[in-house]
Parts: sequence; structure tokens; C-alpha cells
Amino acid sequence: MPYVTADWWRPLALGLAAAALCASVSSAQPVAERIRQCGACHGEDGNSRMPNIPSLARQPEFYLTNQLFLFREGVRDVAGMSELLKGLKDDDLVALAKHFAALEPRASDEPTDPALVKRGASLIEPLRCASCHLPSFAGQDQMPRLAKQRVDYLIHSLKEFRDNKRTGADTLMSNVVIGRSDDDLAALAHYAASR
Amino acid sequence: MRNLTLKTLAVAAAAAALAFGSGSLKAQPKGNGTSPIDRTDRSKSKQSLNLKGNPQPATATPLEKIPLDRIKLPPGFKAEIWSHGHAAARTMVMGSKGTMFMGTRVIGRVYAITDRGDKREVKVLLQGLTQPNGLAFRDGSLYVFAINRVLRYDNIEDNLDNPGEPVELTKAYDLPDTIHHNWKYVAFGPDGKMYVQVGANCNICEINPGVHGQIRRYNADGTGMEIVARGVRNTVGFDWHPVTKELWFTDNGRDWAGNDGPEDELNRVARGQEGANYGFPYCHANGIADPDSRRPNPCAGVVMPAALTGPHSAGLGIMFYTGNMFPQSYRNVAFIARHGSWNRENRFGYDVAVARTNGGRATIEPFMTGMLDSEKNEFHSRPSYVFQMADGSILVSDELHGATYRISYTAPATAAVTKKKR
Repeated sequence: MPYVTADWWRPLALGLAAAALCASVSSAQPVAERIRQCGACHGEDGNSRMPNIPSLARQPEFYLTNQLFLFREGVRDVAGMSELLKGLKDDDLVALAKHFAALEPRASDEPTDPALVKRGASLIEPLRCASCHLPSFAGQDQMPRLAKQRVDYLIHSLKEFRDNKRTGADTLMSNVVIGRSDDDLAALAHYAASR
Repeated sequence: MRNLTLKTLAVAAAAAALAFGSGSLKAQPKGNGTSPIDRTDRSKSKQSLNLKGNPQPATATPLEKIPLDRIKLPPGFKAEIWSHGHAAARTMVMGSKGTMFMGTRVIGRVYAITDRGDKREVKVLLQGLTQPNGLAFRDGSLYVFAINRVLRYDNIEDNLDNPGEPVELTKAYDLPDTIHHNWKYVAFGPDGKMYVQVGANCNICEINPGVHGQIRRYNADGTGMEIVARGVRNTVGFDWHPVTKELWFTDNGRDWAGNDGPEDELNRVARGQEGANYGFPYCHANGIADPDSRRPNPCAGVVMPAALTGPHSAGLGIMFYTGNMFPQSYRNVAFIARHGSWNRENRFGYDVAVARTNGGRATIEPFMTGMLDSEKNEFHSRPSYVFQMADGSILVSDELHGATYRISYTAPATAAVTKKKR
């Protein structure tokens, strides 16, 4: 069944805008300059205030490094990201990951729905989300932090997994959420973000 | 609502099972089948809640940090690093001009490795693919099977710097677009057909047996599909016995049904039994009924494995040895790379085992070990596939470190043996 969200274009448009911003910048610039560019969308402190753009603060360094590789190589396909990372060396990607992994996570100002949080809590146990993302939802190794992540980004990601649209990720996540309703995914997102 | 859906699925699956019963090689119906809801009841497993997938880095381990000295082999065998610096190394096939092609999963790359005598030159040949684990080579062409695409690069060894646009075979092969357990393993069989795996896209679920849980074979151009094996959860390695020419395949057992089982399998497709049923989702290992996917007489008509290969051991690549370098006792013996467990509290595998076959049975013994530290419950390697070189040595790819190990054998000097006897 085809699935289109009303705001599907937002990351695309933002990504293109970000790519346009950096198009004139040489790839030899220091990592500090790259960090500034990342912050334009993901938040200078690593906490995103933009719809559908994920927060990076205190994401596991392993997770961030892997994702940066996948963007650079065009495996994970998000408009603009591959362009932004073009020409960066492996060590540069590791440096970016280290920087954002060390920042303090803060919840976004999106409202969380208590009813959805409650329903999400009842789904967490049978799906064993905490096995990988930890009971605190802080994430570990290749598994991302979900606590204090943006709700809209989590919903967007979960739908991508369910609908086989997320490339470059371990397929286990697709298996976990396959066949789940939009309501279930919203409940999971509200619960996870509220941790 | 959900009960109704599951029932409908079950009925559809049963009907499909009747229509495409054991022994039938008829083609599947079109379309990509059902979207199964995973039936795993994790609360029944009694396993630790902390079990999680093993991390796979996107970077290769620097040469000096690859723990070669941990590797243990039988007397006379020696391991050395053959190639390194190719992150996430998995499948290996060799071109007729000596280029080693290497497939990966999460990193999306295909490498070309050229032997320069005392060292190997590594090149990223393709990138940005979705888990290009399936590689095959014939008549100068490299076949690349990613989860969502089938590509053929003609004359590839003359164009390693610029492979150009591939011939797109995706539509011809018409593989399901489901992604879980659908990174591919492929190989040309002795009959010249392309053998392709289609995994069950779940841990445990009612699959449409006309679509998922199969080994298929095709003409190289993607026409003439036939189903060779059914009820196969997830095989990502197969090979043909050098004498009997029968197909042998590894199969990964389900998760979240206990630390000790059901064990993974080594299976044989006996001559004349193409299309047989290997049990998924109802019957596992040596006849264990599934706790979550139930039906009466779950193992009726199911081919039992030739051998069990250990709980959650994750046997990936299998290769029958036909070389002259190893002792005669290794002739026609299968080497199996066991990637190692994640869904088990005490880790298991992370080694290369040998399977000695006898008719439809096999016995498993250790060969390349030492990368699992059982005391600390830590692993130091993820052996993935095995490849036989022209000189009779074998290569083992290590996904964790992005390297290959060359295993060679030197017979003990005759003089020394004579001395000992005296």
C-alpha cells in the first residue's frame, strides 16, 4: 500500500537547502566548519528544533559514525546529506561523530500525547525495544538513542522501516514494525521520545 | 481484526502449500506475496532481555590491530592475512583473470581485489547498493544481487576503474521487494543455472510458500524460474558436492525460542528431491515443533537436516574442498564459516567448522577456532565466507575486521616423522 505523509517533502527541501549552502565550500575545510554546518539544521547544541530533522546529541558514537559512512557512500538516501559529506575522510567522519556524541540531549518542544505514551508503553515489552535501545532508550553501539529524540522524526523513521524505505539499516527494524498501524508507530514514537 | 487477518494468511498459506507441494518445480504465482506479521512471542523465550545484534563497524581494522595470533588451526595449517582494508568483507568470487570480487551487506560496497604478488590492491568497485551480498561470475560478467536489484557488469575485469552502466536484470528475476532476510546469496550450479536464495522475511511467521523461504534457480538471464527448496528460513550459503553434484546449504534457525535451540542446520537436496520442504515455520532442526507457529503434524513430509551446526551459530558460507594442498582427509569435505551468535547468552560459533559428509548425513568438527573468548564471552572475528584458491589454500573473509585470512598447509618433513618413530 503506498504511503505518503503530508510533510514528506520537508526533509527533502531542507536537505536541498543545506546542500546549496555548502555547495561553494571547499571539502578541505576543517572539521569545526563542518560542525557549524551540521548545527544549522541539527541544532548547534545537537538538539534539533526543525521538524523531521533528528537530534544528534549523545547519540552513540558508533551509530553516528556508521550513519555518516552510509550517507557519504549514498547507501542511506536522504536528500542533501551525501552532498554535505562528500570528500570527507574516514577520520573526519569519526571526529564529527565524537563531537555530537558528547553533547547533552534535550527534549524538543513538541507536545507529547499522554494517551499515546501510555499505549506506547504497552507495545514496548512485546517488541523488546529495550533489548537493543536499552531500558533508558539511550541507545548503544549501532543502535540509536530514542530518548529525547524529536517525535516527528521518530514517526518518520518508523514509517520508513515499516514501508521498506530505509536503506542501509539492519533489516531487523523492518521486521519489528512490519504490519504495524500508523497509530502504533505514533504511540511508540511518543513513548520513546518521552524517556 | 488481527486474528481474522492471521487466519486469512494461514488459509492462504495452506492453500499455496497444497498448490505447490513438495516435489513440484512449477513457477510461483506473480506478485510479492503476503506481508507477514512476526509471530515471535519473546516473553516465552526465557532468554535475557539484553540480547542484541552484534555491532558491525563501517571501517576496516588497521593491519597491526587484526588479531591474527588468536587463530588456532590443526597441526600443519597456518593462517596469514591475505588482504585487508576492505571494511565489512563477506562474499568472494574470482574472475577468470584473477580479480577477487567481494560483496558486503550494510556498507553497500562491492570491492575488487587484485593480487600484486606480495600484496593485494583493494578498490571500491561499486557503492551505494542495498546489501550487495550476492555475487557470481561467468563469461567475463559479474552478477551483483542487492536486496532490490539484480545487475550484470559485462567485461568487468577490463573495466575495473570504470565499470560503466550494468545490464539491469531486476525485472527478469522478479524477486520479492521485502528486505528482511533478503540479502542474497547466489551461485551458478553445475547445471549452469543461477541459484538464488529468498529468505523468510521475519523471525517466525506464516510465509507464503510460493514466494518466501526458498532456494530458486533461473537461467542466467532471469528466465525459467524453478523452486529447488522450500521451507528454508534463511540460507546465505550453498555449494555442490564435488562427486554427487547434490546441493548442500546452511540454514539459520529462528531466534527467541531459547539459548540452546533450535540449532542451525546443514541440509542436502537429494537428487530427484528438488522442491522438497525443509520445515519453516512449523518444524525446526531435528524435528522440533515451533512454539509460536503451530499446526498438526508440523514435521510431516519435512526433510531432516544432514547435521545440526550449533545453536544460533549462524553458518553462512559453505565450500567443498577439492584442492591438492590439504591432506587427503580433507578432500570433498565442506568448510563452513560460522559468523557467530547474537541471540544466545553464552556466545557460540565465530569459527570455521568442517562437515564430513556420508550420503545424506554429515558430522561437524572444529577447524579454525580461537576467535571466541568463552571466558569473557567476547568475540574477535566474524568469519563469513570461504573461498578455495588455485593453489589449494583457502581464504576466510572476516566481516568484523574487513580482512581475509589465507589458510595453507605444509606437511611435516618426512625426516622428522622417521626420527620420531625411531
